[in-house]
Amino acid sequence: MDIAVETRALRRVYKTRSQEVVALDGVDLRIGRGERFGVLGPNGAGKTTLIKILVTLLLPSSGAAFVDGLDVVTQFRELRHRIAMVSGGENVGFGMLKVKEQLWMFSQFYGMPSNPAKRRIAELLERLGLSDAADRRVSGLSSGMRQKMNLIRGLITNPRILFLDEPTVALDVGAARDVRDEVRRWMAEDPTRTVILTTHYMMEADELCDRVAIVNRGRIVAQGTPSELKQQVQQNAIVDIQLSPGRRLLDALREVDGVAGASVAEQDGIDRFTLLLSSDAALGGVMRIVEGSGREIRGLQKREPTLEDAFVKLVGRGMAEEEQG
Amino acid sequence: MIATIAQWRGFKAATWLGWEISSNWTRPLMFLIYSVLRPISAAFILVVMYRVISGRAPGTTDYLAFLVSGVAFWSFVQYGFAGLSNGMAEDRGEYRMLKYVYTSPVDFYLYLFGRGLAQLASAVASALIVLVVATIALSLPIDPLRVNYPLLVVGSVLALAAVIGMAMAYGFLQLQAVDAHGYGELGASVLYVISGAIFPITVLPGILATIASLSPLVYWMELIRRSLLGSHAIRMFPTLSDADVLLRLVVTTVATLLLAHLVFSWADRRARRRGLIDMESNW
Repeated sequence: MDIAVETRALRRVYKTRSQEVVALDGVDLRIGRGERFGVLGPNGAGKTTLIKILVTLLLPSSGAAFVDGLDVVTQFRELRHRIAMVSGGENVGFGMLKVKEQLWMFSQFYGMPSNPAKRRIAELLERLGLSDAADRRVSGLSSGMRQKMNLIRGLITNPRILFLDEPTVALDVGAARDVRDEVRRWMAEDPTRTVILTTHYMMEADELCDRVAIVNRGRIVAQGTPSELKQQVQQNAIVDIQLSPGRRLLDALREVDGVAGASVAEQDGIDRFTLLLSSDAALGGVMRIVEGSGREIRGLQKREPTLEDAFVKLVGRGMAEEEQG
Repeated sequence: MIATIAQWRGFKAATWLGWEISSNWTRPLMFLIYSVLRPISAAFILVVMYRVISGRAPGTTDYLAFLVSGVAFWSFVQYGFAGLSNGMAEDRGEYRMLKYVYTSPVDFYLYLFGRGLAQLASAVASALIVLVVATIALSLPIDPLRVNYPLLVVGSVLALAAVIGMAMAYGFLQLQAVDAHGYGELGASVLYVISGAIFPITVLPGILATIASLSPLVYWMELIRRSLLGSHAIRMFPTLSDADVLLRLVVTTVATLLLAHLVFSWADRRARRRGLIDMESNW
């Protein structure tokens, strides 16, 4: 495999006066050229720290990382010609500049000749539906438009490796779809281009990525194609149960024989439990616990596994629980 | 060659950005009026204070020329130093774009220099405006035909290099702080006190006078006055010839640039080690 990104025992510790926080704890990764590689995990898992190290913004505490064959610590100047980074959920930009001016300025920071850069910017603005906003000031853009502009900034120079850190976070459904579509289209133009994407949206990783690494508490707990990861829970029965609010049940459900994993998320006043059962027979024990709790069953479905289920099986808890600590 | 052209493009874009940031908060006419009035007001406040205190006593014109020439050229340091050093903190705290600029291929020195160049250009205009207006209004002994221009230009270029070096290093040091607002002006004010801009450094307390004598800005101020005012210049270093003062300016400038490079490199490495480039900060 032609390697685009490789990390070896990569470790990053943030030190404050009172404590040490291990953000990355011995991460080993090999990402092939031409891959759309997803780094999936809850907030605080270490995804953004990994990206920051790979784009030369942050030094690792120990271990090594190579991007396009270059050491991120010692060969960062050469490396910066070959990469670009786009982060999501940020209200950033030189607000007084027009959209096309800010994009042009960044093309100049990458050394592009001015006229080809302007043509490229016009083309990308058109593709992402931002042509009408080209002369608007950055400060006047909606968050969706601003994120599309940021994506264009990353694409103008056709980097060999594009890093996308939560590119669709806080976007509406339409804008998120446009961003994903553009990433796919950009990748399809040249098979040697590589995208490293961090996300905590399971669906996004499933839909967009050729391979995914699941990260939790600074460690990679599994990696493979989305279908390989889902196969890890293929032998399990996946059951969703919606219950009315009531006393805490999660720990009791996890104790039931045959329950391989369980998670819960509250939505619209309903607790939505996801259970990984080693066999359908375990459902009897689950129902006894539910009935004993006095909580009303609002819905119950058996379904195909998702990456979220794989995460629950690997980590033992749901992503939302991990984010809450 | 290609790499040089690419860096040149980045430098030009950074210069354009600096100009947009410093000028586009108002209409062009208002900006022009502001640019003219600001330095003149600052200079004339000092002149009026001096006039009130000296009471138009005879023999005060030479000191008035000392004061005005120092204040006029001080704008180089004030705008240049604060403009350059604030750029980084502003890009991080206000625009939150520093991480994207930092991880782009443009040389960070060049970017910062370009980003602050608009302020330096304003400073040149400011110095000229103050000198012309003050010379006419206060009848200062400045004869444009008798100015030692080579000395003035060489001294100013060296001092400018020193100011840029100091400002870049100081700017990176500012990134270590979460609350970085106003530190640029603070640094410029400290330099103001020890540069001989408004009074000779000999009136400073011992340790400050020693520190001031290690700064290239003092020798620059001395050369400016000698080149502009000739025999009317009040000399801070009466025993030194013009060549001696220039030599001291060269030596202190080289030392300042070396020190600034070391500080810049150390602070850059520390910023990457501690994740300061994209740290949430108050601006």
